[in-house]
Amino acid sequence: MAAFIALAALTTLYTLHFLLLTNARMLTYCAVADTLVIGINMWCIALAIKAYPTTVSVLLYALAVGTVFTGIASFLFYRCIKLSLPDFAGAFITAKPIWILLFGMHMIICNWMAIQFALFKKNELLEKKLARQVDIDNSLRDAELFKLRQQLQPHFLYNSLNSIAALIAIQPERAQDMIGKLSDFLRSSVKRESEELLQIKEELQYIKTYLAIETIRFGDRLNVQFAGGTDINATIPSFILQPVLENAIKFGLYGTTEQVSIRFSLSLDNNMLTITVSNPYDPSIQGGKGTGFGLEGTRRRLYLLYGRTDLMETIKDQQQFTTILKIPQHV
Amino acid sequence: MYKVLLIDDEQLSRELLKNYLAAYPQLSVVAECADGFAGFKAIQEHHPDLIFLDIQMPRLNGFEMLELVDEPPAVIFTTAFDEYAIKAFEANAIDYLLKPFVKDRFNKAVDKWLQQATNHTIAAPTIKMEEVVAPDTYQHRIVVKYNNTIRIIPEADIQYLEANDDYVKIVTADGSFLKKCTLSFLEQTLDPQVFARVHRSYMIPVTQLQRIEPYEKDSHIALLHCGAKVMVSKNGLSKLKNMLGW
Repeated sequence: MAAFIALAALTTLYTLHFLLLTNARMLTYCAVADTLVIGINMWCIALAIKAYPTTVSVLLYALAVGTVFTGIASFLFYRCIKLSLPDFAGAFITAKPIWILLFGMHMIICNWMAIQFALFKKNELLEKKLARQVDIDNSLRDAELFKLRQQLQPHFLYNSLNSIAALIAIQPERAQDMIGKLSDFLRSSVKRESEELLQIKEELQYIKTYLAIETIRFGDRLNVQFAGGTDINATIPSFILQPVLENAIKFGLYGTTEQVSIRFSLSLDNNMLTITVSNPYDPSIQGGKGTGFGLEGTRRRLYLLYGRTDLMETIKDQQQFTTILKIPQHV
Repeated sequence: MYKVLLIDDEQLSRELLKNYLAAYPQLSVVAECADGFAGFKAIQEHHPDLIFLDIQMPRLNGFEMLELVDEPPAVIFTTAFDEYAIKAFEANAIDYLLKPFVKDRFNKAVDKWLQQATNHTIAAPTIKMEEVVAPDTYQHRIVVKYNNTIRIIPEADIQYLEANDDYVKIVTADGSFLKKCTLSFLEQTLDPQVFARVHRSYMIPVTQLQRIEPYEKDSHIALLHCGAKVMVSKNGLSKLKNMLGW
């Protein structure tokens, strides 16, 4: 809009400045010659800017091109007058105010056009760059998510297969049972790849299948208590809950040889689904930091999905390790 | 008759090993353990000839357990994790069985050990190079034997480490502990983001560093938050500068 107003103002000024010439024949002639000269100039400026070398600052380059073309335009204009109206040229050149005004107008028009072209070109370049950056970000994000998902599965799968191998030798019927559960688990794993948001009920069902497999692997040592959640209508992104549970199992179950209780509770409040998972843990055994891959991955994933870092919290006390997840609803 | 010990936290895994071992009457399972602590005790009690060792286990992992044993028996690792293969290789393992493994693969490992045990020859390890993955699994704790009990020292408790003949002295606020290993071993196993080998005989957690003062030509002294003073070599100084981005 501003560009249009500026263009209109310039055109008006451009027309008006010829009125300063009192002779009617000269006025007409000058206007035609100048318009022609300026028109050709514009075209040349556009070409020059298009071949813009990217190492120089865009405004500086535009000003340089504009100034050079101001000189060319003024010179050409003078040559035109001298060639076609030789008797007039002397008078014209001595009419200093007109000459200065003309030169000034050329200066403004050429520089202004040059800057417009340059900005347009710069904008185009920036847009291209931005589009590429967005592409890169997207593909990075996808790759990262894919990797995070991949990292969740293999060991669990290998260990489960090993348990099946053992069961085939000692209790073939239970091996069949285990294969059934593992297949259920894998089937929903594959299915959920395409879905980003899951109903919490589905996710709980998935988690329960997962726990059923762990129960076969670890026998009576694993005891999981669920509180609330069965009638909650909420959604959760895939692969958020499982790593937290894996972590609870890793530090709870894998961290001891005794019986382990993992507590799991859900609540929905103010469009925020809160999930709390707690497991026993022995601080004297765990080496300082090292929340393990699972939780860092979850934190990262929550950040990628919601752009917030406050959605996961972990609390360690002497016996319990608690992870609190907050999942915003309807965003 | 050889004595065999099974150390794995999953009962089913041990059952599978026993099942496969049934084909070898000359091997008898003397004990089964579900974690590294129990494994360590069983090794001291039974002096087995061969152990099957899982790596990821409660309380004390397989490698940490091996570090505590003065004369470790022959080891065949059994794990679902392939990222430890290079470490197992360094621990002179007979073999590295990736779960789930089939009977043939198991037999190969045991046959190799039997051959070695009967001929007293050292066979080439069967760990293939493609199985060897760079480990990014640094330890964040050190395990030591202390008055015949096992003590786990988290890295955050360590003030500094000092080489002491065949031992490394681990200094903490609760006193110091000796571990039979070299400082270079700990340099490799501990997280290099946390610990810096500042001298031939010293390694410090960088967070312990309070300030550095010149000492003699080419050497400095580091003052630690705990009040201790530790020698810093020319090399050590540049390492610290690198880590702290001076």
